[in-house]
Amino acid sequence: MRYYYLLFILMLTGTHVFSQQVSVKGTVTGPDKAPVPGVTVLVSGTRTGTTTMANGQYAIQAKAGDTLVFQFIGFETEKVTVGTSPLINVQLSLSNQGLNEVVVLGYGSQRKRDVTAAISTIDVSKLRDVPAANVSRLLQGQAPGVTVKQNSGAPGREFSVVVRGLGSLGAGSRPLYIIDGFPVGTSVGQNLNPNDIATVTILKDAVSTAIYGARGSNGVVLITTKNAQEGKNSMMISANYGIQNIPESRKTKVLNGPDFAQFKKDIFMDKIRYFEHREPSLDEVPLDFRYPEQTKYSTNWYEEILQQNASFQDYNVTFSGGKGDIRSLVSLGYISQEGALINTSFKNYSVRANIGGKINSFINMGLNTNISYSKENAYITEGRDNLVGAALLLDPREPVYNEDGSYNSYIGGHDGVFGFFNPVQFLNEVERGDESGDILSSGFVEFSFLRHFKFKTALNARLKYDSYKQFVPSTIAGINAPPPRDASEADNSYRTINLASDQLLTYDNNFGQHHVDVLAGFTAQEETVKGIDGGGSQFPDDLTPYLSNATLKTVSTTEYSWSMIAFFGRLNYSFRDRYLFSATFRREGSSRFGSANRYGSFPAVSVGWRLSDEPFMPEMPWLNDLKLRASWGVTGNNDIGNYTSLPLMALNNYILNNNFVGGKVISAFANPELRWERSKQLDVGLDLSAFDGKLNFTAEYYNRITSDMLLPIQLPAIAGFTTTWSNVGKVRNRGVELGIDYRTRIGEVGFNGNFNISFNRNKVLEIQGANDEIWNGTMYGDYNVSKPGRPIGMIYGYKVLGIFQNQAEIDASPTQDGAIPGVYKYEDVNGDGVVSYDQTDMVEIGNPYPKFNWGLTLGADYKNFDLSVLLLGAQKYDLFRQIESSTMNLDGVFNVGVESKERWRSESNPGAGKIGTTNTWKWSRESNSRYIYDASHMWIKNVSLGYTIPKSTLGFSQVRLYLSTDNLFLITNYPGNNPDVDNNGGTNPGLDDEAYPVPRTFSIGANLSF
Amino acid sequence: MKPIIIITGLITCCWLLSCNKYLDKTDPTKVNADNFYKDQKEAEQALNGVYGQLQGIMNNQWMFNELPTDNTTIDFNPDDRGQADKIEAFEFYTVTAGSVNIRDMYTAYYNALYNINTTLERMEPASIPDSVKQEYQGQLQFLRAYYYFNLTQYFGDVILITKPIKQLSEAWEYLREPQEKVYAQIESDLKAAAASLPEKYDAAGTGRATKGAALGLLGKVYLTRKNYPEAVTTLQQILPLGYALLPSYADVFDPQKKNGLESLFEVQYQGGNDLGEWSSFIYTFAPRLSAGAVTGFAQSRPGGWNTPTKDMIAAYEPNDKRKDVSLKEGYTNGAGAWVPVPYINKYNHPHTIYTRTDDNWPVLRYADVLLMLAEAINEQSGPANAYGYLNEVRERAGLLPLSGLNQVTFRAAVLKERRVELAFENHRWFDLKRTKTPEELALFLNAYAAREKADPTVGRQGIPYSNSDYIFSSFEALYPIPTQERLVNDQLTQNQGYH
Repeated sequence: MRYYYLLFILMLTGTHVFSQQVSVKGTVTGPDKAPVPGVTVLVSGTRTGTTTMANGQYAIQAKAGDTLVFQFIGFETEKVTVGTSPLINVQLSLSNQGLNEVVVLGYGSQRKRDVTAAISTIDVSKLRDVPAANVSRLLQGQAPGVTVKQNSGAPGREFSVVVRGLGSLGAGSRPLYIIDGFPVGTSVGQNLNPNDIATVTILKDAVSTAIYGARGSNGVVLITTKNAQEGKNSMMISANYGIQNIPESRKTKVLNGPDFAQFKKDIFMDKIRYFEHREPSLDEVPLDFRYPEQTKYSTNWYEEILQQNASFQDYNVTFSGGKGDIRSLVSLGYISQEGALINTSFKNYSVRANIGGKINSFINMGLNTNISYSKENAYITEGRDNLVGAALLLDPREPVYNEDGSYNSYIGGHDGVFGFFNPVQFLNEVERGDESGDILSSGFVEFSFLRHFKFKTALNARLKYDSYKQFVPSTIAGINAPPPRDASEADNSYRTINLASDQLLTYDNNFGQHHVDVLAGFTAQEETVKGIDGGGSQFPDDLTPYLSNATLKTVSTTEYSWSMIAFFGRLNYSFRDRYLFSATFRREGSSRFGSANRYGSFPAVSVGWRLSDEPFMPEMPWLNDLKLRASWGVTGNNDIGNYTSLPLMALNNYILNNNFVGGKVISAFANPELRWERSKQLDVGLDLSAFDGKLNFTAEYYNRITSDMLLPIQLPAIAGFTTTWSNVGKVRNRGVELGIDYRTRIGEVGFNGNFNISFNRNKVLEIQGANDEIWNGTMYGDYNVSKPGRPIGMIYGYKVLGIFQNQAEIDASPTQDGAIPGVYKYEDVNGDGVVSYDQTDMVEIGNPYPKFNWGLTLGADYKNFDLSVLLLGAQKYDLFRQIESSTMNLDGVFNVGVESKERWRSESNPGAGKIGTTNTWKWSRESNSRYIYDASHMWIKNVSLGYTIPKSTLGFSQVRLYLSTDNLFLITNYPGNNPDVDNNGGTNPGLDDEAYPVPRTFSIGANLSF
Repeated sequence: MKPIIIITGLITCCWLLSCNKYLDKTDPTKVNADNFYKDQKEAEQALNGVYGQLQGIMNNQWMFNELPTDNTTIDFNPDDRGQADKIEAFEFYTVTAGSVNIRDMYTAYYNALYNINTTLERMEPASIPDSVKQEYQGQLQFLRAYYYFNLTQYFGDVILITKPIKQLSEAWEYLREPQEKVYAQIESDLKAAAASLPEKYDAAGTGRATKGAALGLLGKVYLTRKNYPEAVTTLQQILPLGYALLPSYADVFDPQKKNGLESLFEVQYQGGNDLGEWSSFIYTFAPRLSAGAVTGFAQSRPGGWNTPTKDMIAAYEPNDKRKDVSLKEGYTNGAGAWVPVPYINKYNHPHTIYTRTDDNWPVLRYADVLLMLAEAINEQSGPANAYGYLNEVRERAGLLPLSGLNQVTFRAAVLKERRVELAFENHRWFDLKRTKTPEELALFLNAYAAREKADPTVGRQGIPYSNSDYIFSSFEALYPIPTQERLVNDQLTQNQGYH
């Protein structure tokens, strides 16, 4: 004790006289008075820092007058000035961030606790370990009601995003993306670097989206990019390097060389047995597959086109200057992702500069600019005729290379096997590139006047350049067309100019317990795209892949544009923070609609009631906040082509007197009445915060009815056309969304968990009059059928009852013309005694919509380690595995899946009961229920483990290293590579025609800050 | 900062004032039909567009008019069965209402009729000299009649529409009309066309419908309706118009001699360039595995469709000069071996660019007129006055004149002559339907089918026929109304026998 006293005296003296460094110590506790370990304790303005130990104690050197900063995730940051006492005990309070944080809304922002709309905010900083080449990846599993699917594993591709179900049968169902206030359309594109994103807010209900009028129906994704932190200059470097591979369990398996030869041999012999009722002699089998065991080669083509250990690289440097009146942030990014298929890749280079600040006491300004260039080297891979599908179908008895090392450039094409290009050669020799240069800039000036008013004028501009070039050399075979063939080239380039301007006037004031803020605005936007498409064929050689060398050339130019203008307003009113009211209105005109219906109005209102503040509520110490809210409003969807309401004429020329004469015909049925789709959406929600903010819970119910759908309705052919765009029908999406967030700390271990689950039910209420079925599809694909009473685009086909075992069974069943034993027995749905070879007897065989989607993020930290796991799932939905119409085509023209070994060969050898006979083609490949698979799945989407090197060790202010795996593990019974696949998308969902496979990524990364 | 406020304010005001203009967008690369058809030049372009639509229709007409008949079959592809329910169904008599080819054909016809009806209506108030207007109207009426004549022969009762649909709901108000009414419209259009069309155009108009074409088609309509007196008087009006048989049968199809003296109407094509107006019939018809042996381009993968049957080959009398022009019985492949797969040779001429041939398609020619006259006169009053017309055609083919026939045998002789003279010109299906009741047609085609089945023109590599193949029922004399049309409008009736 004496010792301490002495020290205290010395210290005091020292401080006074020399400002001597002294040791300050103490204990940090939480609200429950339990010690909190791992809290960062910093001496503000210096590089001195430490962390609390297991018992919450710390010790640090400081001077009197210094400020100690206590920081820890989940708690409010505390600042204490060092005074005379060497003992500073601190009790941290839990962060109320969830309630006091400000959230971004359309044309403004609002305190989260005052929000009466259904919105989800994603804190992107938590997702920094995810190897994301596209921004859309960051949305996956983060928000209830937002379904994000990776339809294709192609590098750099945007994921599909759907908010609260498909709202339209004919127009698009994709949300509107807004980057820093600039509506960029229904695609976020490939040019925004995920590292530059600060937050993403998803607007889901009408009161939040109606302010975007005719573009708000499908939800709005507001992306806010990073800005410099006030009062802080820093430099951050992040690096992430990974390798990608297709997991063995997710590869589609087909027969090897000898097995395929055996299969071909069996087909031949089985046919003789069946049709000629005798045992064939070996001599009758064509020599090519008479001795399967002597098959010379066995090539796994799928394996051959895969790129092993494809790299993923993401490097970013951010300079941020937050001191002074003008803050600036400059970010340099480079993302390079090789594809899972050889010679495919995506690269993006970006530079961002976000500058903003005060000009003087009443003028603020800001300018965000992103300059980006990306290059994608990918191919059309979907479907049997393209790369991945073809690799499954190729004759495995052929080698990739000839003996002399050159490509074996025509695979198959003899003995009744279809001829294909060599996909390895294709990937290596076909030149293809998509390039895109993009300048996206938004600037604003804001004036504050008369204390409560602000006027903001914003100008947004995008200049974009896209080009596409593909050269297929003469060495590449076609399907059943051996090389050399005519080389061909496509060379297209497009330029886009998108200009938008907003004028916003806001008023914000408190009158006693009344709070009012008002927004009035005007906006205009115009986008023009101009393009030139060139094509060439018949090149003298493959050496000069430029159109100028083509003998035959085609060229066409396009130009299209759209424009919109709108007035809008919003009123937010609250009384005692307890009764909340909000109303928005927008009146919008769009060039896309018929002259008779150019303008529309989009009103919305919402109310909120903070029950927890009511005096009548019993005192519940655990309850921090309880709010009920409801909203209703009207939004629109204008996502159809630009000129769909017009009767445009197409060229249709002729020859007279052996000379060319120009001719024109009408190319579409005009509909001047065409207008936007209208969605009326009701949303009821509850927000709850409890246990000192550790637990946050949100529940929503919504009911959205879209009417006047923009739909290409079927017309009787006598109208001149079989379809035209019209406003018909109604679709309802209703559902429930639950989100729960919990974070706590037990001893030295911190936990956080976020779970969200959404149930959406989609139903077509009406289409048009008596004509209320929309069929899309083909006999050997699937049919997607929309009809009242059922969801959009249900999968239709014949219902397989089994396999006909013998002629007696065929004779006893409804007539299937041409059926022989071994083919499928289909259900005669209409009971007319005939299974007709058209759609008449087809029924609903699959539902492509999950009963529910869920996402779970789990996080934990211990000392300097942190761990985060993202799980995603979708339950009970069907996919139509279209590729099987080729891989299970038993004609012997293609290689087939390994399941074919279990096919029906005779009544005594009926196989596994799933695959039929090879003796005929009919009644086997048609759209039927055997293609349907339950695609329910749980995906361990990402696991990341990080380690933060204690500050004192290195000169950096922070270094964090991490390991991350993406698409780690998939639990499903679905046989395809990817249960998220959706080849057609939109209103024709649920088709899997073998897309670009989705790889698993292992990556290692580091974040350094100075 | 004041300037910014002012500029912003000004911009805002400008936008406000020009809102509607700001929102007026039309495709700058295309003409809006609402602003078209104003003058002679535009009406002519619309008319040319209507002619242009003939090309698409003609590209597939063989499927409906030759393939089901005894004239042609298919070069069976055992490896790719993808066409089994599509093209092959026409050969094997397994066409259903779900046929995509029937649907596409039906749609193409009514799309062409929509353009015809629109052009006729919109041209009416346009400032075009009367004489020109009438000439244009005549051509449009000729084409409208041609389409309806085909439609009613394919489907029987069809929807008759002579005005463009403007309101969506109108499209559901039209139902199938009795064939009588359709024929009344066809006759009225053709009479009007025959009255207003010139006998001949100046050179630049070569290829447009003429008076002769209208009379020829009208004669065929009368013949089909068994109105023989009208058929004879109508067809006889063509005789003084200057048409004649070309001395050489091959010249009729020679692209170098398009639109010759014998031609009343043909669909125009042009190959050898980038203008997009080429034909490519030989690529559809040449044997499947012939590669370049027929087309002259090694990279060819011909369709092997519309293959002349053994029956057809046998139908030629010895020394008929037409046989070698119309068909070949096989080809020599790249390895120098003779492959006995026959093919249609009429539309096979040297061309300079792969898949772009220069061959026109004959629709109406003078030989057809002569044979129709022979048929009509024989039906009206027996063969006595009909021999001349028949024998004129035979003589050009290097065959001896016929004589001493009675009405029945003469009828058979004309039908046989039409078969070989007009082979593969899409006449056979309608000729058979015209001269036989559906029951007779069924007997006739089943007999042919039995021969073809017993001894296929092209081998099937051991693959047996389906049980349903080659069973022709009398109801199949009409094609089915496409399922899709009946889904869209459930008031639309189906032809008996189909569902």
